[in-house]
Amino acid sequence: MSAVDTTLTPAVVRPVPAVYADSARVRLARGFQHGGWFVAPFLALFALFVLLPIGRGLWLSFTDANISGVGERFVGLDNYREALDDPLMWDSLGHSAYFTFLVVPCIVLLAFVLAVLAHHIERAKWLWRLCFFAPFLLPSTVAANLWQWLFNPGTGMINHVFGLETPWLTQKSTAMIAIVITTLWWTVGFSFLLFLAALQNIPRHLYEAAALDGANAWHRMVHITLPMLRNITGLVVTLQILASLQVFDQAVVMQDFGPGPEESTRTFVQFTLEEGFTAYRVGYASAISIIFFLIIAVVALGRMWLLRKREEGAR
Amino acid sequence: MPPPLPSRRTVLGGLGTLAVAGSFGLAAANRSASAIASDADVRVRYWNLFSGGDGVNMIAMLNAFRRADPRVDVKDSTLQWGNPYYTKLAMAASGNRAPDLAVMHLGRIPGFAPGRLLDPWDVGLLGKCGVREADFNPVLWKRAVVDGKLYGLPLDIHAQLCFYRRDVCGKAGLLGDGGNLAAVSSPEEWFKALKTAKKAVKGNLQVLGMKASEPNFSWWFFLSFYTQLGGTCLSADGQDVTFDTDKATRVLEFLRQHVTDGYTAPVGIADGEMFLNGSAFTWEGNWSVPVFNDAKLDYGATELPPVFGRPATHAESHCFVLPHQAARGGAANEGAHRLAAYIVRNALAWSQGGHIPAYAPTLEDKDYLALKPQAEYVSAMDHMAVEPSAWFAGSTGLLAQRIGPAVASSNVGSARPDATARRMKDVLEKLLTMKNPMAGEAIVEEGAAT
Amino acid sequence: MTAVSQISPRVRRRGPRKKWTPGQIVLTAIGVLVSGVFTAPFVWAVFTSLKSETEAVAVPTHWVPQEWTIQAWQAIFETGNITNWFVNSVVVSVCVTFVVVLVGALAGYGFARTGFRGKNALLGLVMAGLMVSPAVLGVPLFTTVQSMGVVDTYWGMILPQCAPAAMVYILYKFFQGIPKELEEAAFIDGAGRWRVFFTIVLPLSRPPLAAVGIFTFIASWNNFLWPYMVTNNPDLMTMPNGIATVMNSYGIQWAQLMAGGLVAGLPLIIVFVFFQRQIVSGVAHTGLAGQ
Repeated sequence: MSAVDTTLTPAVVRPVPAVYADSARVRLARGFQHGGWFVAPFLALFALFVLLPIGRGLWLSFTDANISGVGERFVGLDNYREALDDPLMWDSLGHSAYFTFLVVPCIVLLAFVLAVLAHHIERAKWLWRLCFFAPFLLPSTVAANLWQWLFNPGTGMINHVFGLETPWLTQKSTAMIAIVITTLWWTVGFSFLLFLAALQNIPRHLYEAAALDGANAWHRMVHITLPMLRNITGLVVTLQILASLQVFDQAVVMQDFGPGPEESTRTFVQFTLEEGFTAYRVGYASAISIIFFLIIAVVALGRMWLLRKREEGAR
Repeated sequence: MPPPLPSRRTVLGGLGTLAVAGSFGLAAANRSASAIASDADVRVRYWNLFSGGDGVNMIAMLNAFRRADPRVDVKDSTLQWGNPYYTKLAMAASGNRAPDLAVMHLGRIPGFAPGRLLDPWDVGLLGKCGVREADFNPVLWKRAVVDGKLYGLPLDIHAQLCFYRRDVCGKAGLLGDGGNLAAVSSPEEWFKALKTAKKAVKGNLQVLGMKASEPNFSWWFFLSFYTQLGGTCLSADGQDVTFDTDKATRVLEFLRQHVTDGYTAPVGIADGEMFLNGSAFTWEGNWSVPVFNDAKLDYGATELPPVFGRPATHAESHCFVLPHQAARGGAANEGAHRLAAYIVRNALAWSQGGHIPAYAPTLEDKDYLALKPQAEYVSAMDHMAVEPSAWFAGSTGLLAQRIGPAVASSNVGSARPDATARRMKDVLEKLLTMKNPMAGEAIVEEGAAT
Repeated sequence: MTAVSQISPRVRRRGPRKKWTPGQIVLTAIGVLVSGVFTAPFVWAVFTSLKSETEAVAVPTHWVPQEWTIQAWQAIFETGNITNWFVNSVVVSVCVTFVVVLVGALAGYGFARTGFRGKNALLGLVMAGLMVSPAVLGVPLFTTVQSMGVVDTYWGMILPQCAPAAMVYILYKFFQGIPKELEEAAFIDGAGRWRVFFTIVLPLSRPPLAAVGIFTFIASWNNFLWPYMVTNNPDLMTMPNGIATVMNSYGIQWAQLMAGGLVAGLPLIIVFVFFQRQIVSGVAHTGLAGQ
């Protein structure tokens, strides 16, 4: 999972507001010919590196193309048929889902607790922010190497500190857990900052009023803080689900680019890349990528739908 | 009055502009900083996948070459062993940005679309560098020839071995004449030997290390014993699956028994360290020889025990290849030929890493014959169990990736041997139905069959 | 949409000196404990990098080196790969950041303040593009880049990172919030669209541009997946990619691996210490924009 990916924000997909009715004068006067030029450089890049790959991926998914890029043949829905019938695809999808299932609740909870902690300690605020956020600034591969070393059964610090002899990364029952722990440490800082910013945005007078009414800390938490954080929690959950489904970096680096003990840590992205770059089956890999794209889209659109439903309910 | 210092913002702005300009400059030139800095006549970019003892030996050989041929600047890169290495090599070759020279496993050549991802060796040029076909094991040379052209220059044969400690095995009475491990010829004899050895192994150390949960090793060991039983994976023409599930089940049960009888730990224990500490046996690649030599162990190494009759032990070969470059030729190409020929001919250092040299004159070198335990297992080159010749086979290829985990899960008891054997057959059948992604004009696979 | 300007990561309240209430003592103690857990891996990495390779793997393991040595640090700089990769990382991240900020600001402004045929449809398309990343469509993206012939080049690494729909969206939201009166006055004075953009709008937009720039830089510096897919030549690799895929000929050497990791990770952390306020608001800002 590249946590600072541009994909972090698919959650912002929402209907385009009808801006502009009020600036019609400006638009009519000058806008038309300039507007296109403002957007053109971005659109060129966007077309080349987003739209073109989508189109190409769609086309390739109906062919038996290989990595050399020559001699592809149209094979209809064969790739999709094979994919839906491929236990490896389902397994790897399962692993990514399992990872997501483990990571998301932990990260949301931990980020929230850390944010509340950092928000309420009055001294050395910068220090807590630094400590909780710094891991996020490491490249994924560095974080993964570091924890691979920490989890080393013989000479790693974790077994030493806790007096264990667990072969964390080489047995099926703990391999994914180790990757989850690494991910928690590495990426919780991002969600932590979002929660912290949201906490600081809660108007102070709400608490003051509640204190006058004699509400204790627990009541303030339940009746003010939590409701005020509802939106940001939804955002964090969505971002984390999307990022976690795309987990790749830590998993492959901690398992030396292999599929893990008894193939238990092969993630969906890893599977796609193996099909594309190891088996050289670009056509098949494209079909799986399209399937994955649809899954991601469903999650992103699902959040949009929930948001809209809530807005309607609020009216 | 001193001149006014530039403000902090000016300085930062200046540095920022410089960074942006410099970055775009390098990006536009599209050359890495090191390439700009290099000034040698000929630069040979050489990729390999050797680390550990092999890496040390390779660097020593490269340094020797650099002294012998100072005009050639060798830029060597060691990439992550196994599959990532092959992915990078294939992509570099298909993107026409390949290094001048690379190392590869011989079994991988069919999957590398000779003629498309690999360029043939100039045998005449090799001859001028002192390397001729007659100097090589004919089996190896033949495997490297596709369509009449040589695509791989063999460097070595490396095999899976049974390492044994003389001190422990001697105490258990398992050594025969001359202090070498006494021969065993059936699973019963082998397990009897393990049982005896167990008494001589101190503490709670395992008797045998067999990397039960490691997919690659599991597959290699399986292949060794399966070949001993006379089993095959594909028909000679490579069109049909000939995998024998009954034989496979026997082998899987044999492997599994080591775990159930408590001779080996199923997961997570470092076999090499256990052997150093006093395990009687460990099954390992011959590249562990330097590790055990450095530890000054009294040990020997032989082929995997021929428990099913005919001796066979898994072996592969490293060879030099010329990754495809559209403009192959010229000084860099010649440098690559010279470098490869030099290393193949001066492979004594390489055999200290446990490998059996492919260059026959080295095998007769008295310095080589004096190496221990190398001389003890040199016969492994006559009993090679190799993967089938197919585009998906070869070290850490698609076949090993798909089939290795199956063997490992049977070893650790997550799957039953007979079910695993069927799964292995399914893997082979599925791979066979997959079209060779590199197939097309200029690809002839049949020639690679041995 | 949250008004991002409300975020004030550094809350400095002047007032009476804070008192050590029992609650504060407990909270601070917990804070110290948790921070300790979070920093321990860093400490472990630093200590490991200052051990000799043999001491690093000695059993039983220990925190503090018995013999301090900088041989691991010397070794990684002698072999030269690390400095190479560092330069590559700088080149790629700086170029990506520069292009993204420039192109993103232009496009954000274009979408927010100018009109042209098909604008709304295009905006919708850009939003849909938010769901695409190398993780999701890596293989097709690679074949696209391959057909352009830029595999294993700086441009092959840089350009595909330069079309972040998310950043355009953030800036688009920001430009919508700038009062139109500021521009209209200039238009009446006869200034053109471009002049208004460069002389009035851009100077007003420093904070969001910095936020986008910071976020992009971090993302690009740490990006592993795309450079991993598109570079094979070790000379051209960026830091995260090189560390993960290029091996040391002497096998895994933990002290050197940790030293290399620190070289890759420390620059951003040091920058963070000095520019904490900007980075925190930058990350929070870009993240919160999705709310």
